[in-house]
Amino acid sequence: MLSEKSLAAIAHERTKYPAEQARSALLAALRIAQEEQGYLSEALMAYVADLLGLPAIHAYEVATFYTMYDLRPVGRHKLCVCGSVSCFLNGSDAVIKHLSERLGIGLGETTADGLFTLQEVECLGACKDAPMMQVGDHYHENLTPESLDVLLAKLRGGSDDVR
Amino acid sequence: MPHIEIDGQAIEVVAGTTVMEAAESLGIYIPFFCYHPKLSVAANCRMCLVDVEKAPKPLPACATPVADGMKVATASRKAKMAQQGVLEFLLINHPLDCPICDQGGECPLQDITMGFANPHSHYTEEKRVVEDKDIGPLIATEMTRCIQCTRCIRFGQEIGGIMELGATGRGEDMAIGTYVAKAVQSELSGNMIDLCPVGALTSKPFRYKARSWELKHTPGLCPHCSTGCNTDMQSLGREVLRVLPRANQAVNEDWICDKGRYAYTALQAEDRVTQPLLRVDGGWREVSWAEALDAALSGLERVVAQHGAERLAGLISAQSSNEELFLFQALLRGLGSPHVDHRLRQQDFRADAAMPVYPALNMALEDLEREPVVLLCHAFPRQQQPLTNHRLRKSVLQGGTVIALDSQRQDFNYPVLQLVADAGADLALYEALCSQLSGAVEKSATAGLAHVASVLLAADNPLILIGSALLHHPQAAAMIAQIERLAELAGGRVGWLAQEANSAGAWLSGCVPHRLPGGHTAPATGLPTDALWDAGMRGFILLGIEPGVDAMRGTAALAALQKAEFVLSIAQFAGEAQQYADVILPMAAFAEGSGSFINNEGRLQSFRAAVKTPGEARPAWKILRVLGDALKLPRFQFNELSEVTAAWQQEIGEYALDVPPFHAFPALEQDSVPMSGDGLCRLGDWSIYQGDPLVRRAAPLARPAVAKMHPDQAKGLNLRGDTVEISSHSGKISLPLVLDARIPMGAVWVPMGYGETAVLGAIYAPCTVTMATPSAATANA
Repeated sequence: MLSEKSLAAIAHERTKYPAEQARSALLAALRIAQEEQGYLSEALMAYVADLLGLPAIHAYEVATFYTMYDLRPVGRHKLCVCGSVSCFLNGSDAVIKHLSERLGIGLGETTADGLFTLQEVECLGACKDAPMMQVGDHYHENLTPESLDVLLAKLRGGSDDVR
Repeated sequence: MPHIEIDGQAIEVVAGTTVMEAAESLGIYIPFFCYHPKLSVAANCRMCLVDVEKAPKPLPACATPVADGMKVATASRKAKMAQQGVLEFLLINHPLDCPICDQGGECPLQDITMGFANPHSHYTEEKRVVEDKDIGPLIATEMTRCIQCTRCIRFGQEIGGIMELGATGRGEDMAIGTYVAKAVQSELSGNMIDLCPVGALTSKPFRYKARSWELKHTPGLCPHCSTGCNTDMQSLGREVLRVLPRANQAVNEDWICDKGRYAYTALQAEDRVTQPLLRVDGGWREVSWAEALDAALSGLERVVAQHGAERLAGLISAQSSNEELFLFQALLRGLGSPHVDHRLRQQDFRADAAMPVYPALNMALEDLEREPVVLLCHAFPRQQQPLTNHRLRKSVLQGGTVIALDSQRQDFNYPVLQLVADAGADLALYEALCSQLSGAVEKSATAGLAHVASVLLAADNPLILIGSALLHHPQAAAMIAQIERLAELAGGRVGWLAQEANSAGAWLSGCVPHRLPGGHTAPATGLPTDALWDAGMRGFILLGIEPGVDAMRGTAALAALQKAEFVLSIAQFAGEAQQYADVILPMAAFAEGSGSFINNEGRLQSFRAAVKTPGEARPAWKILRVLGDALKLPRFQFNELSEVTAAWQQEIGEYALDVPPFHAFPALEQDSVPMSGDGLCRLGDWSIYQGDPLVRRAAPLARPAVAKMHPDQAKGLNLRGDTVEISSHSGKISLPLVLDARIPMGAVWVPMGYGETAVLGAIYAPCTVTMATPSAATANA
């Protein structure tokens, strides 16, 4: 189900923890599996759990807890808007509403062209520049409707690495 | 040892004790939801927060170990505020549906809210709603009521031994669910209902049947296996509505299995007999007791007068009470018949003389959990004795080793070293292990065998347990002889896992053809069950059994019963008896009668009726007494059950809890080889929910019969599709095929205890499997 490279990476993660602590390697193993396949299907979660000798429910529990794991296929750009307390008080709802209007999708949905997925996530630790969101590996902070429009235009323009 | 003070009361406790445990021993109540003495500490409900001196914040009593000099206040202003705060948060999302909730009236959340909550809530927003799940026919779910205490999850992992329930999602979205809505498969799943502190998990068959405070509680005993679990039978009027565990730490701890919990649902089965029935001109007529007894007596007397008492046989269920078993054998022997038996599932009786006085575990159930090395011989207690199995599981979790020898790989809920015999060659497996232990072979054929032998030899006095399924084998006697040798070679001791709730009582009360009450040798040895079917019997008395599915050769049993001139069936259900009986006398079923059982340990436990018998049904002991009295047999003049118990006790005398596991073996004749000719070896056993007339009729427990086969075997036979036809020398059936790598090559597994599988006859006999022809498949459907 996974490539040799991913299997080797998971095996390496497993060696970092004591023999009876297979559960500790689950976070990394699920991340590696998701990086290869794009999202975690039920079959993939069960497969990863089995690799580590764990009941499938353990993988399912972890994958549903963290917003970083995707249980359904997602778009090329995942817009992860923080909705925790600092961002909420600084207008994260308005950010979500703006993105939702511009893209024509609701939370957890993906645009028809497969370009964007909109998500609300838990605190990403950038409270001082709230409201913020994560796209790819980058944080975008002090969001305003204008800065959001600029960012969307860049992403639509084909750029993956927008700062 | 640390000295602490709780609410001003001083106590000295063992280091490592938690504040919760210390408070409990002082009789101080601290409210809690997630804490349970039999489960790991999760400390996630926060209800047990207490005020500890010098601690800046309130601490959870269940997870706080005591320290010397600790001063705890459970009802200070700080503790009360913490408790009120926790409850306010828990109630934010809990629905106010107590009036329609089955948990209402026995709900810790309700009780603790009444006792500890602030009557006002700050919360005015919407409550959350959790999507409900269907987790099978036993447990009803209302997940919106869940407070995420995770008791059910911890039960699954720590007691059930399988991870079925888990917590998915996060924060407000957290919900308890099974992975991909998979049905809850554990044989102990019903205990999660008892553990749930709210109405999220409730009993599905009990749903909306009654309020808990209306129910009458009667202490009872589970009649479904030899563990002898204590139960709390809860009834309303004449109906048993619920069976729950009654805590007895020496027997069943706080649990019962699903078989014991849900079998009561069959009490009102369609074919329940509540009026004596008489066969008249090929039809059935409901008659008075006087008329039915007249017919029964004249039928019995006619058989004895015309053919002699040796043409009359009596078979009784080992779920009968000691009193019933005692009277039953007295009735048969009083009439002059030596043929009394309760062992319907056995095929090989050559070791009868060597059998112990009764099948005794020879140790306390509690001590099983401390056994370092246990060898199971054709025993799968997870299915046969679920709560005895739980003790073994605990021993393995504490580092013990359990080894199992069997005819197939079994689905244990703990790690077990399993050795599987080649299809049908079960005896050879025991012989091979003996040779290995005696050092007769340099190098073993398999690494597994050598490893098992080395574990047994290294162990100090390992425990060898003979399973109830071993006796179903056609070479059981030779296997028992090998086990005796094995015990000697390994320097171990032997115990028996008894099958039925009162197998021990059946042996002790003389319901075997070669022994009288107390285990004394019978002056005339009768025939064992399986031999009766071919012995031209003219009359039968049956009590609480359905030989068509309860006997090893069901079809042969039915034929013999139909050929007999007179059959008296004392039964709870008429379904099968109507095929062959002449008189059916309705008897009390589970929860309707009183008496006593002896469990696997030799523990004598008594029970009394929870509800009245329906209609004209009567307790079996009363029916036997009337029959014996009317037949003018000596010693049948009893008025009260206690008089029967006293007579039984006097007759069997004191019995030992530890009995020699074997008596001297008779010389065994050359073994007949069970597998002969072509074909597959038919494996199988009575499925967990098919083992007796009551549980077979329990609709929530019903599971359809399937055949199982190793995937490679199915491929080798070119079996495609999901229905196959299985034929033995005595008949053929069509069943869905399930591929299962636990079944050895050369074998097909077909369960016993189902009407449709009985035509195949005995297990371990050869049979062939082919693709079902479309017409056969439709006929079966």
